[in-house]
Amino acid sequence: MIPIPAFLVLAAVLFGIGAVGFLVRRNVLVALMSIELMLNAINLTFVAFNRAYPHQHTGQITSFFVIAIAAAEAAVGLAIVLSFFRLRKTVRSDSADLLKN
Amino acid sequence: MSIWFALSPLLILTFGVLGLMLADAFSKRHSDLALGSFITFFGAGLMAIGLWIMGGVPAEVAAKVAPWIILDKFTLFFTATLCLGGAISSLLAGGYLPEHDLDRGEFYALMLLSAIGAVLLAAAGEILALFIGLETMSLGVYAMTAFRRTNPRSAEGALKYFLLGSFAAALMLYGGALLYGATGTTTLVGIRDALTGGQFGSLRDPSRLPTVVLSMVFILVGLAFKISAVPFHMWTPDAYQGAPTPATAFMSVVVKGAALATMMRVMLVAFGDKASASWSSGWPPVVAGLAIATMVVANLIAIRQENVKRMLAYSSIAHAGYLLVGLVAAWGQGDPAVAAEGRAALLFYILQYTVTTAGAFGALILCGSRGREAVTYEGLSGLGRRHPAAALAAYYYLRVLVHLYMREPAPGAPQAIPMRSGYVYAALLISAALLLYFGIMPGRSLEMAVAAAKSLG
Repeated sequence: MIPIPAFLVLAAVLFGIGAVGFLVRRNVLVALMSIELMLNAINLTFVAFNRAYPHQHTGQITSFFVIAIAAAEAAVGLAIVLSFFRLRKTVRSDSADLLKN
Repeated sequence: MSIWFALSPLLILTFGVLGLMLADAFSKRHSDLALGSFITFFGAGLMAIGLWIMGGVPAEVAAKVAPWIILDKFTLFFTATLCLGGAISSLLAGGYLPEHDLDRGEFYALMLLSAIGAVLLAAAGEILALFIGLETMSLGVYAMTAFRRTNPRSAEGALKYFLLGSFAAALMLYGGALLYGATGTTTLVGIRDALTGGQFGSLRDPSRLPTVVLSMVFILVGLAFKISAVPFHMWTPDAYQGAPTPATAFMSVVVKGAALATMMRVMLVAFGDKASASWSSGWPPVVAGLAIATMVVANLIAIRQENVKRMLAYSSIAHAGYLLVGLVAAWGQGDPAVAAEGRAALLFYILQYTVTTAGAFGALILCGSRGREAVTYEGLSGLGRRHPAAALAAYYYLRVLVHLYMREPAPGAPQAIPMRSGYVYAALLISAALLLYFGIMPGRSLEMAVAAAKSLG
């Protein structure tokens, strides 16, 4: 059986890739994907930790809810990106520079 | 008391928004929906106050939804406060949206749905319920920020708010997942028990210490994003400026209030054990540092703003700093008597803040009619002579003395012309009356704040 820490390290690496991708990449769609990656890493963490507490299912149930919320978040996020794209004809976040003092 | 009655504030909001969406499909004049939205908020707030007067929800009824939703006096206090903020914001929307040609009914539905999330967030006693409340609240507010569809600034503000907001939510949830791993539970009370040394081992267990500290950092960063504390405040001025003004009022009042409620619950309940809440090894020095940075930086930048909405955004960031000072005081060095006073003061402060800030945005809305919005201080020049009543409202809430009364507008510069709307007048009168009431006769609301603070933890 694969030990729990292996899953946790994988989840941490995925979360790190997501966080770095969010902070470094300038394409808004990639940033959205990075957030999804982070949420999936969180799901993996919850499920992996649940194996350490076999008498309950809190972690697994939480991950189901997180999947649903991530879908809702992606829907709203894509709508916002779309409305931004329609007005500015770009999805690069460094072209979001109208709001300044 | 049945559980349905105990949950009635949330249920009124839920069925109110369903009814409102139906009414939106059949109605011609969408500004009437503002009244429906106001009544829904008013009813929910009234039920919260009614439950309070009946002595709160009995423990055996509250136990049916605990630990996911906690129905104590703290929740009731925040429910009433959030509904008050939502009610004023929906009246402001009823004046603002038709005037600026944004008269679409979704706005009120989004506002109510987002308020459901806010109330749930204030009531959440468990990581998953907390996350669901947070996301429900935030998704509605993202959409409200992007509501001016043809305006690139609105889309840009919403984009920045959405990206940073969901990043912060993900960080916070990862903190929650790590905490689950370290303690074996996701309820806030269970986490505190585990950290003080329950069945899952304590913070002193060296193998779990890094996980707990890391999760505390992640959760604190996520919450600091939501109440917009420096250095996590970058999205605030942009989102505030881009959003339609009633949405801005809602964001600064309801979203911040709910984020404060959950911050109090997480920090004072879940991380309320001796090791997590101490000057030497816990969160108080970090929060104190954030508070100092927030107050100094936000006020310094606010002076330099020329756009009134951005100035109000930095003012709202500065208020986050004051709230964080209150959070450290609410910990009270671990002394229960000091902590009770600090918590009560923090609750009373958020009540005042709700009324004042909603009024400030209301005054800003009142000062601008279509195409002649009060955007800059310059636009407000000479308003005191041209429109004394609107200028009085602006002075009462915004204190822009020099521009309102002592300066004449430059020739050819855009000038703000006040709008006429019964909804905005009503919102301003309500907030002015409540502000005077809380200021002159604070006894009753202070007593409520003290009782609510006592029920926490």
